[in-house]
Amino acid sequence: MRNFYKICFSLLLVLCLPRISNAQTAGTTKYKCLVQMTNYLGEGAYIAVSLINPKGAYEKTLYVMGSDKKWYKDIKEWHKFYSKKPSNISAITGASITGGDRSVTVLEIENSKLNAGYSIRFEAAVEDKEYHVKDIEVPLSTEGLSGKTEGKGYIRYVRLSSI
Amino acid sequence: MTISIWRYSHLVLAISSFLLLTLASVSGIILSFDPVLQKTQPYRVANFDQISLAETLPVLKKEYLEISELSVDANQFVTLKGTDMDGKNVSAYIDPLTAKVLGKPEKKTAFFQWVTTLHRSLFLHETGRFFIGITAFLLFLIATSGTVLILQRQRGIKHFFKKIVKESFAQYYHVVLGRLLLIPILIISCSGTYLSLVRFNVIHEKKISHKIDFDSLKEAPEVKLTDFSIFKKTKLSDVQSVEFPFSEDVEDYFLLKLKDREIVVNQFTGEVIDEIPYPLTTMMATLSLDLHTGRTNILWALVLALASANILFFIYSGFAITLNRRKNRIKNKFKSDKSQYIILIGSENGSTFKYANALHEQILKSGATSYVGELNTYTVYPKAEHIIILTATYGLGNPPTNAGKFLALLEKKPQLQPVNFSVLGFGSHAYPDFCKFAYEVNNHLSLQKWAVPLTEIHTVNDKSPDDFKLWLDVWSQKSGLPINIAPELLASKPKRLKQLSVISKTEISHEDGAFLIRLKPAGRTTFTSGDLLAIYPANDYRERQYSIGRVAQDVQLSVKLHNNGLGSGFLYNLQPGDTIKARIIGNSHFHFPKKASAVIMISNGTGIAPFLGMIAQNTRNVPCHLYCGFRGASSFELYQKGMDSHIAQQRLTKLNVAYSREQEKQYVKDLLHRDGFFIAKTLKENGVIMICGSLAMQQNVTEFLETICQSENDKSLSFYQSHNQVLMDCY
Repeated sequence: MRNFYKICFSLLLVLCLPRISNAQTAGTTKYKCLVQMTNYLGEGAYIAVSLINPKGAYEKTLYVMGSDKKWYKDIKEWHKFYSKKPSNISAITGASITGGDRSVTVLEIENSKLNAGYSIRFEAAVEDKEYHVKDIEVPLSTEGLSGKTEGKGYIRYVRLSSI
Repeated sequence: MTISIWRYSHLVLAISSFLLLTLASVSGIILSFDPVLQKTQPYRVANFDQISLAETLPVLKKEYLEISELSVDANQFVTLKGTDMDGKNVSAYIDPLTAKVLGKPEKKTAFFQWVTTLHRSLFLHETGRFFIGITAFLLFLIATSGTVLILQRQRGIKHFFKKIVKESFAQYYHVVLGRLLLIPILIISCSGTYLSLVRFNVIHEKKISHKIDFDSLKEAPEVKLTDFSIFKKTKLSDVQSVEFPFSEDVEDYFLLKLKDREIVVNQFTGEVIDEIPYPLTTMMATLSLDLHTGRTNILWALVLALASANILFFIYSGFAITLNRRKNRIKNKFKSDKSQYIILIGSENGSTFKYANALHEQILKSGATSYVGELNTYTVYPKAEHIIILTATYGLGNPPTNAGKFLALLEKKPQLQPVNFSVLGFGSHAYPDFCKFAYEVNNHLSLQKWAVPLTEIHTVNDKSPDDFKLWLDVWSQKSGLPINIAPELLASKPKRLKQLSVISKTEISHEDGAFLIRLKPAGRTTFTSGDLLAIYPANDYRERQYSIGRVAQDVQLSVKLHNNGLGSGFLYNLQPGDTIKARIIGNSHFHFPKKASAVIMISNGTGIAPFLGMIAQNTRNVPCHLYCGFRGASSFELYQKGMDSHIAQQRLTKLNVAYSREQEKQYVKDLLHRDGFFIAKTLKENGVIMICGSLAMQQNVTEFLETICQSENDKSLSFYQSHNQVLMDCY
């Protein structure tokens, strides 16, 4: 009987493990990301979402809200990084967001970066208006991802939750 | 030349904005095809207007792992954003009833984006937007001043859509199209201005923010999505977007953005937590955007394209008109108080200046001193020996803008020495008050003590150089100043000639006889009885016009052969098979009425020509009574043949012929007198009277009609004239 249980258990393990290990070998998790804007007046904001390493440097572009490349130079700091190390961002580009609106996107982040001193930066620029390097910076920790982070510029708050 | 304040502002506004307007119109035409192209895509589902949120949301929830937002665009295409069952991002057009993906929302093409930016901001960001905003406002002012100009030209709102006399291509279509596209252009300019005002925050567009008391939110009783009463009630066609709750936390909610309000809905209970209607400014901005872009309606988008194209035409024709006017500006060598000859002009749009300037130059050439001015500048001329007045009439017998003060000035400022005067009126017989103002001026002048009439008043019909020459010869002879102006200088070259071939021609049977000639136009030509055929017998500026009767698709003229007659001789010498070049002139004021209880046709001599065609074309059998006058039975013989069959086919009800030199020696007028009661009754019952023939006959007949209308109907003839019940085409 015990053996039977053992067999069942190992069978279960065999059935389940590949899934878990699959996820872990891919090593990424998808996060639903809600950006809620303040009621500012003006054009739609261009927002770059970047992964920032523990040294405070850009590591990777996670998402760009705004599709017209000619405004990218307005997101100054990110643009420096992006023009030095151009990557294909067409799959992670969406529409810009206007005041009062919200946007829900999906970010894909490597699991190894979680709880390792990394953070997610939301950097926002609006035509003919102020530019915010760190409109929001969310620490990439279990705690940081669970709550609601308030913004300093055009973003009212950001919420993240894993899918 | 003094121009009214409206015309001046219309011009100044147009000059100051035409460059930007051209850009905006061209880009606007292109952009109006954006909605047209979008709407032809097959993403709008059938019966879209019937679908409620309660029908679609549960289906979608079942088919997708996550939904963040559902939105409906101006084309009523439904876009879903979220994640599908495989965890992949979705942003696609879907069928709201089956959740099936229909297609990918495509971004605006780079080309349309480029044109949009040009249209909005000229690639100059805020500065460009500012200028475009100003341009939109200027367009509004141009349209407004243009409307006032049309109102002035047509003398009031009642006549707004009445016929406009064609002076030139540019002028005619500027006014005609201006009238037609007034409303779309006003809408384009108003909505554009409004959008700019919102953009620059002059009009404050308030954003809605929902204040929600999170502590009072409840998770129970849980209700199924299909049973949310607000979802049942809300149709997808009223929705702009539905934002789905971010997580299954009670503090997250559904946010419905409808066309006119925002509603916050509890995701568990379906309770409406908050509801705020959009402020008026937001609604107006949306409406302005809809109207300005045509994004909601394909037909409107096409109207916008048409209106934009017309703005380009207005810019062209407006400048053509202005340049034409400037050509006629006055150049004076001598001051008015030093000149012997004073030429005064009353003209609405400057066409009379050509004549005045030609005369002016000839007087100067002969060594005399001459001065050209406008009637409104009339004053005391101490050296004047002659005053020559050339004036048009505007609207319903009113003075032109630059002559409105003349009659008052005339009373106030008498000349100190006797001065000869001569008045020449310019006008068109197409209008009922032919040269009325010129006659008024002549009457007032003849009452002045100092004024010596040198000639009778003369008139010029439709800028005819020959009419002008006629007056000039008389004036030159009476004043003793030998002046000769070749009519070629004043005539404009005939344009748009058509080829016609001669089908048949009758021979003349006696010495003062008339003949019928039939011509077939080459190619497709639309014309009807009552239109005019202008021929150029000597192949020069000299034009002769004949009234057309349309008989069996051909042009039929009835012409009296005059001794040495230029036109009639030319036509009579034609043989079947010959071709001539001529122009068909639309003469819509003398067409057979579309609606009339009965038509009374009055003619003398060859004036019967258009009626022959009208009767032949009268297949609807409208009661027609023809009153025609001839010298004798032999003159009528030419027309007699067809009449019996017309009567048999009920195309002609009754024929009345008067012979002035035979039998009872009657004139048409006498026949009318006999049937006076019948004629008054016809007018009363919305019948129409048409008169064609000599001016002398016209005068006799209108005098008679005036009396009979007064005595029988208690109305003046002009009442019926203004209702288009009395139509005249005399010569």
